[in-house]
Amino acid sequence: MMMADSKVELHIPSIMGFEKVAMECSASVAKKMGFTKDRIEDLKTAVAEACLNAIEHGNKLDTSTKVGITLTVEESKLQVSVKDQGKGMNKVSTPSIESKIEGEDKPRGWGIFLIKSLVNEVSFEASPEGGNVTKMIIYLEK
Amino acid sequence: MNKEIQVSISQKDEVSILNIKGDVTAITGESIEAAYQKVTTAGTKKILLHFDQDGYINSGGIAILIGIASESRKSGQTVRITGLSGHFQKIFNMVGLTKYTEIFPSEELALKDF
Repeated sequence: MMMADSKVELHIPSIMGFEKVAMECSASVAKKMGFTKDRIEDLKTAVAEACLNAIEHGNKLDTSTKVGITLTVEESKLQVSVKDQGKGMNKVSTPSIESKIEGEDKPRGWGIFLIKSLVNEVSFEASPEGGNVTKMIIYLEK
Repeated sequence: MNKEIQVSISQKDEVSILNIKGDVTAITGESIEAAYQKVTTAGTKKILLHFDQDGYINSGGIAILIGIASESRKSGQTVRITGLSGHFQKIFNMVGLTKYTEIFPSEELALKDF
């Protein structure tokens, strides 16, 4: 049994592929908390996408920077914050499969859409110390 | 770290099957695109993408698949999908890929009446 308010922190380099380390770590914590298999899969995708955004758009693939991930265990929910060292994110419009299939829009740009679809609460903020923070909350019972 | 993919091509009657083992991302997606271009150049009109149940697919990989769905429409090809875990079937539904490709629970069912 995990104690409420337990924290797990890790840092990954800004290299594509390392999001899987954060993804597997968050899955282990969620499993310990008793999340269902389906919700763990949702969490894994959301964490991976938040890390990818931080690596690619926040830190611009600069290998001298890092992405910080904090998992905070609470009574009935898991909070995940993903922090980069970037200088602000561009606003992203809701992607449309039709315009991407028709070639009117580039096929990429699904990360934020997936995060919003898969977790219970999400916010995208500028950190007071600099960088961007994506805060996600996933409840034990959806 | 992200080069973890193997793509092989097999043929079943008129259908070209792309067997995709491993992670589908923006980087590894190049291998899928290359295999798709190869079967397209050979004149294939029916393509089955057979994924790995345990594979990891991220938004970069989804973009690659949208690119293939888009090109296949222009080329008059039909693309079907099998081998996806329940989670990624849900993700493909969420993004709308299932409007352009059909997902089947097994290769056998995907090949039936193709």
